[in-house]
Amino acid sequence: MPLPKPQKTLSFAESSYLVEVIKGMVLTMGHLVKNIIDQDRFRTVEYPDVRKPMTARYRGAHRLTVRPDGHVKCVACMCCPTVCPAKCITIIAGEDPSDPAEKFPVEFDIDMLRCIYCGFCVEACPKDAIRMDTKIYEINAYTRQDMVHNKSYMINLMDGLKPEAEDVYRHDPAAAPAGYTSDEEPVA
Amino acid sequence: MAKVKINDVEIEVAPGTNMIDAAQQAGVEIPHYCYHPHLSIAGNCRMCTVETETPRGPVLEIACNMQARDGLAIRTDGDRVKQVRKSVMEFLLVNHPLDCPICDQSGECRLQDYYMDHARHDSRGVEAKVSKHKRQDIGEQILLDAERCVQCSRCVRFGDEVTHTGELRLMNRGDHTEIGMFPGERLNHDYQGNLADICPVGALTAKDFRFERRVWYLKETDGVCTGCSTGCNISVCHQEGEVFRYLPRRNDEVNKSWMCDPGRLRHHEVGGLERLLKARVNGQPGDGVAAAAASIKAVGAPKVALVLGTRASNEANWALAQLGKALGARLYWVAGNDAGAIEKSDGFLMDADKNPNTLGCRLLAEQSGAGDAEALKAALPELAVVLALEDDLVTRLGQAIPGLVALAAKESPTTKAAAVVIPVAHPVEMDCTYTNKQGRVQRNRRATNPLGDAAPAYAVVDRLAAALGKSLGTQMPVVTFLALSRAVPRMNGLDYKSLGPGGKLLAPAPAAALGGEAK
Repeated sequence: MPLPKPQKTLSFAESSYLVEVIKGMVLTMGHLVKNIIDQDRFRTVEYPDVRKPMTARYRGAHRLTVRPDGHVKCVACMCCPTVCPAKCITIIAGEDPSDPAEKFPVEFDIDMLRCIYCGFCVEACPKDAIRMDTKIYEINAYTRQDMVHNKSYMINLMDGLKPEAEDVYRHDPAAAPAGYTSDEEPVA
Repeated sequence: MAKVKINDVEIEVAPGTNMIDAAQQAGVEIPHYCYHPHLSIAGNCRMCTVETETPRGPVLEIACNMQARDGLAIRTDGDRVKQVRKSVMEFLLVNHPLDCPICDQSGECRLQDYYMDHARHDSRGVEAKVSKHKRQDIGEQILLDAERCVQCSRCVRFGDEVTHTGELRLMNRGDHTEIGMFPGERLNHDYQGNLADICPVGALTAKDFRFERRVWYLKETDGVCTGCSTGCNISVCHQEGEVFRYLPRRNDEVNKSWMCDPGRLRHHEVGGLERLLKARVNGQPGDGVAAAAASIKAVGAPKVALVLGTRASNEANWALAQLGKALGARLYWVAGNDAGAIEKSDGFLMDADKNPNTLGCRLLAEQSGAGDAEALKAALPELAVVLALEDDLVTRLGQAIPGLVALAAKESPTTKAAAVVIPVAHPVEMDCTYTNKQGRVQRNRRATNPLGDAAPAYAVVDRLAAALGKSLGTQMPVVTFLALSRAVPRMNGLDYKSLGPGGKLLAPAPAAALGGEAK
C-alpha cells in the first residue's frame, strides 16, 4: 500500500485564501462581462423560451410518412418490430382492397416508454415509412397510455408538410422553412 | 443398394432414389424449385443443376431427373455449378416484383433463401419489369399473384396428379408466361391449401393466413390433425400461445405432404368462440371436478357409466378405463360423429369417421370390456351419472342422458345438456397419442399452454380420481403411455421415443379380435 503523500505546506498568502478568492472572482466577472458584451457566446440555453436547434441526424420522436395520394407509406411488413431491440412497436396488418399496395397497418403503436431511440426501425424500413427526423425531444404525457404513440398521431406529427417537399428538406435542411425544424407552427 | 458419390462422399442409397433426396441423405443440399418428392419430375427450373462425372469429363445435368445407380458421381460445389445457380437466380428475378414487404411468403420464400445462399448479384435490369395479374381470387382458400411466380409448375402438376382437377395452367409464352385458369373457372376441391404450401414463392398464398403473422415469428410443433381418423401429420404454427395455421408435415405412410382444407382450418377452434374455458355446475361457474366426484359418490359406482371417447387421446381413455376399474363403474364407448361434423369421405385423406382415435378407443374398450352404444342405451334407465370423455354423446345416442358429466374442449349439445362441464385441453395444448384408422399410433406434441381452466383430459381424470380417493398417476403423458403400452398387447414395446416423428403401427390383431378394422 502506497504511503500517503505529505501535504503541501501553504504559504501565508495562500493560507489566507484572500488572493485565491479574488482570482476566482476575476474569472467569474470576466465571463459575466464577456457574456453581456457578446451574447452569442452565451452557452446556456434559456429552455423552454429558447430551444437548441437539433442537428439533421438527431433521432427524435417517430413519425409515419405518407404517399402523395395520402395513404400511409407503411405496408406493415413487420421489419421494424422484428428488428426493434426494445420490442416497443406493435403493428396489426390489414388489407386494403382499393389500394395496389394491398397491405397497410390497421394499428401502428410505438410505446415511447420502452423505446430506446436507437433508430433501427428507420434503418430497417424498406418503404421509408418511419422516420425519426422530427427533432422532437419533449416526449411526455400524464399517463402511460398516452405515451403510446399511435398511427394517426405519428402521421400528423409534422402535419402539413408535403411529401415531395419533405424529401428535399431531408437532403438540404438549410432550405427547410422554420416549421420543419421545430414543433411550432406547421408549414402551410 | 446403389453406391453413389456426392462431392467425394460415398453413400449407399436405394437404386432409383432421386439424386436430390440422395444428396440430402449425404448432408448436401441441392437447391430446387420445381422438384417435389410427391409430384412428377418437370425439370424446368434448372436450379438443381449439378456436375456428373462422365467419360467425356464433367457434364452439367439436373439432379432432379437423375436416379441413383451404382457408380454415379456428382459434384454440387464446382465453379460451373455455382455459376449456373447464379444465372438461374438472375433470370428468375428479372421480372420478379420484389413484393417482399407485403408478401406472405416472405421468410419462407425460396427466392429469398436462394438469393442469399447462391446469387447475391446486383440487378442488371434496364428494361421495365413485365407486369402480370396480381391479387387474383382463384378459390376459396387461395390468392394468385402471377408476377411473383417462377413457373415451376408444381401447382399445375398438383392439380393434374393429386386432385385430378387440373384447373391451373401455364399460359402464354416467354416472359409473358403466367399461371392462370380458364375464364369463369375456380379451384373446386378440398385440397387447395396445399397449393400455397408447395408454391416455393409467394405466387399462391393462403387466404386464411393472409397478413396474419410474419412467418419468422412462428414456432412449429409436430402435431396430428384431429379432424378425422386419417390422422394427417401436421406442424402447428404458433406464437405466444396463439395458433395461426396448421401445415401438413411429411409422412409418406399417412398423408405424404398433403392435408385437406377442413383439417387445415381447424386451428380456428383452439381459441374460438365455441371453446370451453371454465367449468360449469348446473349452468353456473363452479368446481367441476369436485361436483362430478360428489355426484359419483352420491349415487355409488354401479349407477355410474364412464364413456370412453373416440375424440380423446389414448392416454385419456386409458386413464378413464383405469378409473372405471378402480371404482367398479361401468365402461362404454360410442362410435359415431359429433354434431356439426361434415361426414365427407373422398377416398384420399378425408374420412367419414371424424374422430381421430376411434381405433385407439375401440382397442382400449375391448381390452377393458366396455360396452358399445346399444349396451349404453339399454343401461340408461339404471344409470344416474354418465361421464362423457370429449365425445358429443347426446348427438351420438340421439336421446337425453341423465346426470351427464361432460369433459370437453368445446361446446356441443352434450355440454349444453350436461349437469357438470369440465374444460379439457385442445389437442395442440397437450402431449398425447392418437391411433389412426391404419392402426398407426402417432404422437401429438404440446404447442401451447391450455387456455382458461382447461387441462389435458388424462390430468383431469387423474384429478377426478384423486377427489374420489383413488390414485391413478396419469397426469404425466409419458408415464401414462408406458403403462398403457405395457398393458395392451398390441401396443407392447411402444414408448414416446420409439414412436418417432412418423408414428408406429400397432402389432397385428390376433385373429378375429378386431375384424373390420380397416374400415
